[in-house]
Amino acid sequence: MPKPPDLLPLTPPVFHILLALADEERHGYGIMQDVARQTNDGLQLGPGTLYGCLKRMLAAGLVEESDERPDMELDDERRRYYRMTTLGRKTVRAEASRLAGAVSAANARLGLAGGKQ
Amino acid sequence: MIGLLCRIYSVMLFAYPREFRLRYGVEMQQFFQDRCREHVRAQAGSGAWFRFVLRNIADWVVSTMRERQARKLVQEWAVTLLMFLFVTTTLVQAYVVPTGSMEGNILVGDHMLVDKVGFENGGSNWSSYVLPHRDVKRGDIVAFRYPEDVRQTFVKRVIGLPGDRIRLENKHVVRNGQKLDEPYARFSSSGIDDYRDNFPTAPDFSTLGGGRKMFASNVQGGEVIVPPDTLFVLGDNRDNSLDSRYWGFVPSNYLVGKPLVIYWSFDAPTSDYVEWNLRHVEDVALHFFTKTRWDRTLKIPASQPAQ
Repeated sequence: MPKPPDLLPLTPPVFHILLALADEERHGYGIMQDVARQTNDGLQLGPGTLYGCLKRMLAAGLVEESDERPDMELDDERRRYYRMTTLGRKTVRAEASRLAGAVSAANARLGLAGGKQ
Repeated sequence: MIGLLCRIYSVMLFAYPREFRLRYGVEMQQFFQDRCREHVRAQAGSGAWFRFVLRNIADWVVSTMRERQARKLVQEWAVTLLMFLFVTTTLVQAYVVPTGSMEGNILVGDHMLVDKVGFENGGSNWSSYVLPHRDVKRGDIVAFRYPEDVRQTFVKRVIGLPGDRIRLENKHVVRNGQKLDEPYARFSSSGIDDYRDNFPTAPDFSTLGGGRKMFASNVQGGEVIVPPDTLFVLGDNRDNSLDSRYWGFVPSNYLVGKPLVIYWSFDAPTSDYVEWNLRHVEDVALHFFTKTRWDRTLKIPASQPAQ
């Protein structure tokens, strides 16, 4: 099993997919919608990109398939749900703090901190 | 509208590797369908649909390449490439006819595959055990390296085998004392040029090296005698062919093979086939359908015996 630092940095799609799964299990389409919300439509995942990422994330143990079907009535039974693993949670945290470090470094250099801009 | 898009998308899924498609194909289709429905619900305009389609095409291109990944891609192409290299180096060779010396049977711009193993002599080569082969016969059309410049490949018809006595009498070939009736021969002028049409009675020592050698050592009693392990070849377009009359015999190890099939025939002048030029590329691109001689496609240049 890889350790979180080995997986960093994450690509933007992987990072946002993990964030989308941070609070609940979602199916592919739900992940895409949540990623669009997180990024103000800045990142709109296509099916190929999304499932390609999920495939690699499953292989790396960042996410797993869920047997539960949270909203059964609404749903088509062909849908699969994905859930973040403990490793996934650690990894996305590590990535977030890495990004935070990068952002504060950028702010310090560019004089953007403290609303001075 | 949605139905059509979804059907197109389900076909596009076949570009993904099999395992990927089997595992995620259904979900991806569902995803795509949901996305289409969302656009309908939002009463998207044609601009939004257009962007949606473009974005999905981009996603498809990028992700199929990614999923097919270097390893798979290389594996698949490596096999194809190896087969191609094997076939083109040992079995066949592609060749374009640049001149009209075989006019009547083979035209300028005929693109053909030459069978490189058809004339291998029995036993000397592994391929002779695997592939059909036979000896060169009189009347065969053959491709060979031009003895005066081995970088060029010529296509002509075999008229004389080793030991044959050849001469021309007013354009007609006399072989071993017998006048040939050659259904394949074409004559483009009625005038008689003694060197060309009453060969070899009017030797001209300004001819090419091989020709001079032939006149010096292979002419006897007004006839050329074909030496061992060589061939005497003539173009079917007799009055306009640079052939054995001018540069002598083809050593049998200069043989490349026999034309197998014409896979494409494109009507363009000799100069386009002698030297590569951009105008020719443009010509092909613009006039592919009109200047291709469709009736010649897959034609087999047959050997034809003289009577």
